Amino acid sequence: MTAPDNVFENLRLELRRGCLTLAVLAQLRQEHYGYTLRKALAERGLEIDESTLYPLLRRLETQGLLASEWREEDKRNKRFYHLSSDGERIFGQLLGEWRAINASIDNIL
Amino acid sequence: MELLDRYLQAVKKHLPWKRQDDIIAELRANLEAQLEDKESALGRPLTQGETEDWLRQIGPPIRVAARYQPQQFLIGPALFPTYWFVLRLAFMWSMIIYAIVSALQIATQTPNGAAVLVAVLRAPGLLMTVAAWVTLIFAIIEFAAAHYPEKCPEIAGVTADWSPGTLPPLEKEEAGGKKPRSFAHAVAEEIFGFLFLIWLLLVPHYPNLLLYLLLGPGVFYLPVTPFQLAPVWVAFYWSVVALNVLQLVWRSVDLARGAWQKSRRLQHIVMSAFGLIPLGLLATVRDQVFVTLKHPALDQARYGATVDSINKSIHLSALILCAIAVLSLAWEIGQMSVDAYRKRVAAVR
Repeated sequence: MTAPDNVFENLRLELRRGCLTLAVLAQLRQEHYGYTLRKALAERGLEIDESTLYPLLRRLETQGLLASEWREEDKRNKRFYHLSSDGERIFGQLLGEWRAINASIDNIL
Repeated sequence: MELLDRYLQAVKKHLPWKRQDDIIAELRANLEAQLEDKESALGRPLTQGETEDWLRQIGPPIRVAARYQPQQFLIGPALFPTYWFVLRLAFMWSMIIYAIVSALQIATQTPNGAAVLVAVLRAPGLLMTVAAWVTLIFAIIEFAAAHYPEKCPEIAGVTADWSPGTLPPLEKEEAGGKKPRSFAHAVAEEIFGFLFLIWLLLVPHYPNLLLYLLLGPGVFYLPVTPFQLAPVWVAFYWSVVALNVLQLVWRSVDLARGAWQKSRRLQHIVMSAFGLIPLGLLATVRDQVFVTLKHPALDQARYGATVDSINKSIHLSALILCAIAVLSLAWEIGQMSVDAYRKRVAAVR
């Protein structure tokens, strides 16, 4: 990878990082476990690596934005996540921020 | 499935032990569900090669496990600039103190080349020890700030009552568009100044250190020459040592005060004035004796005229150098006075 490619890749990852959190919070307004969440995001055009998504869920739960519970489904124990009440409030704020940034960028362009 | 079990086992080894069972159970459920999806899409179990490709795409176990770890800093980005500043100061002062102590030890004890070599070789160890202590202290501060943020809300000088008025004055370019002296430049000058002082202090014990510079290989013929240096050179030598010590102390004080970028014009003039002392010693020496004969009774007839000629030459050189130094000093003082007058006039206007 050349130096400019490397710079682009770093900036792309930086740009994606915040967007992924927002997308995960948005998708978890409905309950999901890790794999179905990944599939749901992919169906809407947002591919996320397993090694990125699953730890992200843990982090968001530690921060109090998600709640989770272990439950059996299809004869297998799975951990289901959904947005907590704090998560709903912060998601609303983040969404407002994201829309404002988007509108600003559109104005600039 | 055996390969997936092996993969999960490898991931588990790098996870925090308190949460590893929980994380592995969740990861297993997710990966098994994904595997089932893949197999039902293919209508058959994955081959060994396909499973390997799939796991390779998920990533090496150590990297997957690392994503579950909280982000950790020994010294975080908020504290790092302060850490770097303190580390540089600690390096500089430890080297200055070490150089002074080493120079004094070498000068007062029985000095030899090995002692100088040992002192130089110990310096990297000292710097590493200093770096280790500074890093440890800052790591503790970082730990405290991360774990007890309510008890240390303001660290690294980032305080709520920060005022732009406390900023240092604008750095002025020196005459001729030169950049002001950098910190590294100032420290390098200080270190080389101390190394020069150590060398100077060794000269009485190892005269060849100096004479070799002046005479080259000719120094080895000195013991068989009939000449020797007169006592005036001892006074000259110690006045040069005192001059160097004074200059080093002055620069050290400037460094300690953070004033290494200030104009050194006054310092230059003062040092030039003190520089007249050793030259004055040579110019005013009694009977103009700089070199004598080792055995006057034996060699006076043969080398007496040569000695007189050498002494007169050295005396004349000392007088000329003295005159040049006085004129140069007077010129500098005059220029500084004119500049000061112009500044006063400009301030009044």
